[in-house]
Amino acid sequence: MINLTDQIEERWGGKAQAGFNVINSAWEVTCSQTALVEICEWIFADLDFSFATLVVEEEADEWRLRYIFYGGSNGWVHVLASSPRSEQTFPSIVGPVHAADWHEREAEDMFGLNFEGHPRLGDFILHDDAWQEGVEPMRHQFDPQMALLYRKPVEDWRPRRIVQEPGAFIMPVGPKYSGVAESAQFLLETVGEDVIRFSPRLYYKWRAVEKLAEGKTADEVLLLAERFAATTAFAHGLAFCQAVEKICGAKVPQRARALRVFLAELERLRQHTGQVQAICESTALVVADSQSGILEEDLLRISGELAGHRYLFGLLAPGGLTTDLSDQACQHALERSREALAGLDELETQLRVSSSFLDRLEEVGFVPTGTALDYGLLGPVARAAAVTDDLRRKQPYLGYDLFQFEVPSEREGDGYARLRVLFSECRQSVLIMGQALAALAEGRVREPVRFHAGAALGYVEAPRGGAFHWVRLDEGGRVLRYHITSPSFVNWHGFHLAVENFAFQDFPIMLASFYLSVAENDR
Amino acid sequence: MSRWVIKGIRTGIKTTTYPRGTESAPGTTPGLPGSGAPDSEAAQALVEICPTGVFTVAGGELVADVRGCIHCLRCVRLTHQPANWQAGSFEWAAETVPVNKLPGAFKKSVHICVVDTGDCGACLNEVRQLNNPYYNMHRLGLFITPTPRHADILLIVGPGTDHMRYALQKIYAAMPSPKRVVAAGACALSGGVFAGSFTCSEGIGETMPVDVEIPGCPPPPLAILHGLLVAAGRRPPAGSPATTAKTETPGTA
Amino acid sequence: MMDALMLIIIFLGLCGAGVLLSLLAPPARQGSVLAWTGCPAALALVLAGGAALLAGDTFSQALWSLPGLSTLTLSLDPVSAPFLVVTGLVLFPASIFAASELNREPGRGGSAKRLLPFSFSYHKRAFTVMLLGLYAAIGLIFVAGDVLLFMLAWEVMSILAYLLIVSLSSGEKDGAGAGYLLLAMGEAGTLAAVVGFLLMAAGAGSLDFGAIHAAAPGFSNGLKWSVFLLSFFGFGVKAGLLPVNFWLPRAYVAASRAFVPVLAGATLNLGLYGIMRVNAGLMPATSAGPGLIALVIGALTALIGILYATIDKDLKLVLAHSSIENAGIVIAGFGAGMVFVATSHPVPAAIAFMASIYHLINHSLYKTLLFFGAGVVETGTGIRNINKLGGLIKWMPWTAAAFLAGALAISALPPLNGFVSEWLTLQTLLRAADLSSAAEKLSFALAGAGLALTAALAVTCFVRTFAMSFLGMRRTRENQPVQEAKMGALAPMFILAVLCLGLGVLPTYVISALSPATTQLAGASAADALVPPFFSSNPEHSQLPAGFVQDFHNLGAQVGQSLLPGRGLVVLHRGGEDNPVVFAMSTSYMAVVLIILLGATFVVTRVWLTRRRRLLRRKRWDGGMRRLLPEMTYTATGFSNPVRVIFDAVFRPTTVEDTRETVSRHFRTAILRERDRTYLADKLVFRPARAALLKVARALAYLHQGKLNAYAAYALFALLAVLVVYLIQTS
Repeated sequence: MINLTDQIEERWGGKAQAGFNVINSAWEVTCSQTALVEICEWIFADLDFSFATLVVEEEADEWRLRYIFYGGSNGWVHVLASSPRSEQTFPSIVGPVHAADWHEREAEDMFGLNFEGHPRLGDFILHDDAWQEGVEPMRHQFDPQMALLYRKPVEDWRPRRIVQEPGAFIMPVGPKYSGVAESAQFLLETVGEDVIRFSPRLYYKWRAVEKLAEGKTADEVLLLAERFAATTAFAHGLAFCQAVEKICGAKVPQRARALRVFLAELERLRQHTGQVQAICESTALVVADSQSGILEEDLLRISGELAGHRYLFGLLAPGGLTTDLSDQACQHALERSREALAGLDELETQLRVSSSFLDRLEEVGFVPTGTALDYGLLGPVARAAAVTDDLRRKQPYLGYDLFQFEVPSEREGDGYARLRVLFSECRQSVLIMGQALAALAEGRVREPVRFHAGAALGYVEAPRGGAFHWVRLDEGGRVLRYHITSPSFVNWHGFHLAVENFAFQDFPIMLASFYLSVAENDR
Repeated sequence: MSRWVIKGIRTGIKTTTYPRGTESAPGTTPGLPGSGAPDSEAAQALVEICPTGVFTVAGGELVADVRGCIHCLRCVRLTHQPANWQAGSFEWAAETVPVNKLPGAFKKSVHICVVDTGDCGACLNEVRQLNNPYYNMHRLGLFITPTPRHADILLIVGPGTDHMRYALQKIYAAMPSPKRVVAAGACALSGGVFAGSFTCSEGIGETMPVDVEIPGCPPPPLAILHGLLVAAGRRPPAGSPATTAKTETPGTA
Repeated sequence: MMDALMLIIIFLGLCGAGVLLSLLAPPARQGSVLAWTGCPAALALVLAGGAALLAGDTFSQALWSLPGLSTLTLSLDPVSAPFLVVTGLVLFPASIFAASELNREPGRGGSAKRLLPFSFSYHKRAFTVMLLGLYAAIGLIFVAGDVLLFMLAWEVMSILAYLLIVSLSSGEKDGAGAGYLLLAMGEAGTLAAVVGFLLMAAGAGSLDFGAIHAAAPGFSNGLKWSVFLLSFFGFGVKAGLLPVNFWLPRAYVAASRAFVPVLAGATLNLGLYGIMRVNAGLMPATSAGPGLIALVIGALTALIGILYATIDKDLKLVLAHSSIENAGIVIAGFGAGMVFVATSHPVPAAIAFMASIYHLINHSLYKTLLFFGAGVVETGTGIRNINKLGGLIKWMPWTAAAFLAGALAISALPPLNGFVSEWLTLQTLLRAADLSSAAEKLSFALAGAGLALTAALAVTCFVRTFAMSFLGMRRTRENQPVQEAKMGALAPMFILAVLCLGLGVLPTYVISALSPATTQLAGASAADALVPPFFSSNPEHSQLPAGFVQDFHNLGAQVGQSLLPGRGLVVLHRGGEDNPVVFAMSTSYMAVVLIILLGATFVVTRVWLTRRRRLLRRKRWDGGMRRLLPEMTYTATGFSNPVRVIFDAVFRPTTVEDTRETVSRHFRTAILRERDRTYLADKLVFRPARAALLKVARALAYLHQGKLNAYAAYALFALLAVLVVYLIQTS
């Protein structure tokens, strides 16, 4: 691990200082606003860290922004900048760190902060055609009753258009589109064939989970963490529990840790299979659609039989699991998962020789490696573009460093590469499940947690990529601030790269192959 | 291409016999809590532990209002005396207003418009499962249509977020009459865990009249199927003698 | 009953009177003068042509002889008669429309107009005088009986057309340039045509058309080829044929709203008339070569014309390119006829000429109608860019209805007139089976395929043109009201719409009426070939097997015979014993069926189905978004983009792409894309020709150095050269 204290002192002496935060095992660089952009650029570009998230915290007299970076063996760096409450202005870091684009937009919308130098603020979470100006819902003094006054349609709102070609128009999709689809709106600027520019308008499903969590106990917030994006419920619940456990210094029993790994990989296997089904469906390959549908339902039933719930709700608790799962039940689930995997392998073999299927996936929705890095893309989407990041390897948790597994990656960055990554990861997940079962120790599955005040970042490699949950608790174990950064939030930001300059007939395929969840993004 | 055909034939029939028979494969449904508790102490413990207030004590009896159940399973796993859990059941859908005779439009095939109003992904994923060979809703003449213009039934999932409310009203208005509204999942019935958020309503009932309610978090595919059949007047709703008998004797019929 | 010659004299007299009245009348009255003299004059033309066709009232009247040249002759034969009729039918509504345009323009006192070097009222008077003069010139061209009168009238017409484009131009930047291009191209074409005529005259020893026709069989092959090439490409300029049509779109855009219908409906026909007169009327083809060239050039012109029409976004340009397309179809049909004449197949030749002339008439009618519509739209909105129009049907429902009729007709949808002629043209091309040479068959097949594609694209083009202009949402100035056209503009449109329908549902009458023209050109009667006597009033003349006749009776093919005396309502081409029907169709019955279907649909959906149901009207479904904006609807460019993408190899556009960014390359503020709009003919013919001319001019300029000793040297060299030539000759 690097030692930042000296380097920061040397470069920005007087403007910034670094210390070590033990709870988060992260370097904390406290800097003045003038040095913020330079330091972030240095960490991101020179030290080759990835940008995880931006957390805004409202103090009595100031705004504190926490830019969280992580980088391989170098651990975590939190860059802290503050501004007096009256100022509300920060320099924008989007120039050097494009990945922070949507994070700053979110902070602007939610807290009314201004990011100087950010070219695209507004119309993000709060839709400009639905809300008047002046709503800052995440501020402490925000009165939900008053929000009603601001909630008025703005009639003269028009989307920003940047394509200037004779005959260019916007093709709107949604918010209600397709048969069974999550609500979101997409504006495709086009002259009729190729999408020249794509801009998503998300947050139709915004439930203000982070606001709702404030003032609730950790047990109550866990329900939210599991249910805001239930297709990856276990991963998000796990991230939240890990944050709470970090704050409280709780020790999770070995058996619970192994079971958590087992369940997390089962969820990954199931969700990847579901996505394979979505891709087959988008290409209208009916038999493959049915076959993958059967496998997904099989895995849902395996989960339901093992855990009592098809989406693994109600298993996690801070300090462990709510209930023990018997070794036999796990063994049975593993065997059935292996059967499902065999089905997946057969499906992949057959898909690989279905030219009509490959024609629609290959060289479609291409994202080059460099751009994927700029946008900080996560998960299978990034790994299909030769970005081999995986939090299970890069920042191991739950003892993942003790397991033997590979992080699959592909070079092409197209839809087919993403599909191959999904298949490979399914194989790895079943491998890990087997090892987790072998590592299953006897003993309790839950230790009582004694709540402390404090803040920590919980992170997991969710099926769609890295998820970061920032939790601040008070002494009584109530949540003061909860901030979720989901992989879909990051990947939606980069999704336009895949869509632009492709024919819009391929849009559903790109959407399916980009492995996105609206619920995970909208919170 | 022939390889796919052979594969399809080799797979055989996977489809459930429900609603002719019943389905008892493990993992198809998580079950729901039922009323009744061994003693008043246990009943009080259940009332306290449920985060969404499913249980109430009325006249000394523990009553479960399953509309609010979010399947946290705390009433089973975190109490000394677990709740009366109805494992294996799935015919949960209830009509808000009993209807004796439905208009002719629901007699034959029925088209369903599915709207997501802030759903977490689980309810929607379970609706998606209805298309897969295990459930194959098409065999029952149930079809999903992307446009409300062709829809007879509006199937709503999610807690009714602020940004979707206007769209929801437009969708409802765009549907031809006669139409029925089915709300699926705890969020759509009562707001679920999101009740209390300033951007969510406490149930779709706040926005429009709901005809059929399917509890569950998420309701498993069979429960949704039952709900749709109730909406189309082809299955009796939960609580009626026919469904109770079926739930109590799984594997028969 | 006045005879045709009298009517022609009345026509010329009315034009002359109109010119005089116009010179005397105040500017505000110019519209009335135009309408009250132009309309009767047009009517006289229709009657004269009608008399020649229906009553066989043809004439040849020598006027006076010019010493040393020839005798000027007025002559009307069945070939010119259809042209007279269609010109009259076009000029009648066009006069009303132009008059209403003149009346709509502010008269005197417009302060902005004062800034012009001459007052606007002068323009109005000049416009009327020149337009009536043009009418007379057009009429004269059709009734000219000798080369001299023909060329004189032609020259007058060319100059007046040029002046009309320039004088009351639509305000385009390059109006004057387009006028010059029209003049230059027209004169080059005229020159070629004159040379062609003179070659024929030299061969025949006379300038008289009759004499030339008589002498034509004796012309040498070389002479025939030269005359064909010179006349085809010379008159092809006016007709808009490849590769000499690049002036046409520019001129149409530059021409005023009042004049462009005349340009498309009447002057385009002159070029076609010239080609037909020379290559079939005067000098019937004896070898298949010229006909095949005409066929292939026609098909190519049609295809490329419709391709450009389908992608262009300027309403006037779409119509201009579509005129090129239609001229191509006419010439393709005509070329097929030439081949049949040369290979001694008079009946298919007659059918081909029928298709060609029928289509020519149809095109004049619907294109004039569509140009009226485009003019009205431009008047109402100030916009010609289809991408910026939209939703006009709510504001101008009558204009939309008339434009729709024109669009359906030009898309060749039954039962309108475009269908009849395009169907006949395609059937003609299928007659290639009668031909012996493989090359001929291949050319017919390829041309047929090209025309079929053209027909399909034409539907695309006009669905797009109508839908993007009149349907959907307004794309510019959403809430600003648009004035529906006045009666003076609506009446002409509806006159033409009714004519389009009439020519569509009563093809058997039209074919019989036009038959004398094709009889003269092909030597066989098209009416006999297409409207069999069986369907005429006298069933005994039927040459068909009795059983077949009975079948047709039972099928009701003669329904309406008693109602509409004279003809049946089925176009039917007979073959031999084994193949009694080669092709048959009836737009008349299609119209009946269509009316029944539409009526039944209305009854079923609106009356029967809603008896016990409530009819709910809801806003269009927009995916649940808060507000659907006009910029979220398909544009015309978007609609035709697939065509553009597929045929980019033909269009060969040069594209400019530029992206503007801010902060970092991922924040784009603008994506600019532009495609240039050059036409293939422009790129391949006009620009190289202009470049070559400039090169020659530059070389000549190099000689003109302005130095005295240089010129002295030139003189010396010239002298020496003459000496050398002289010495060689004498030695």
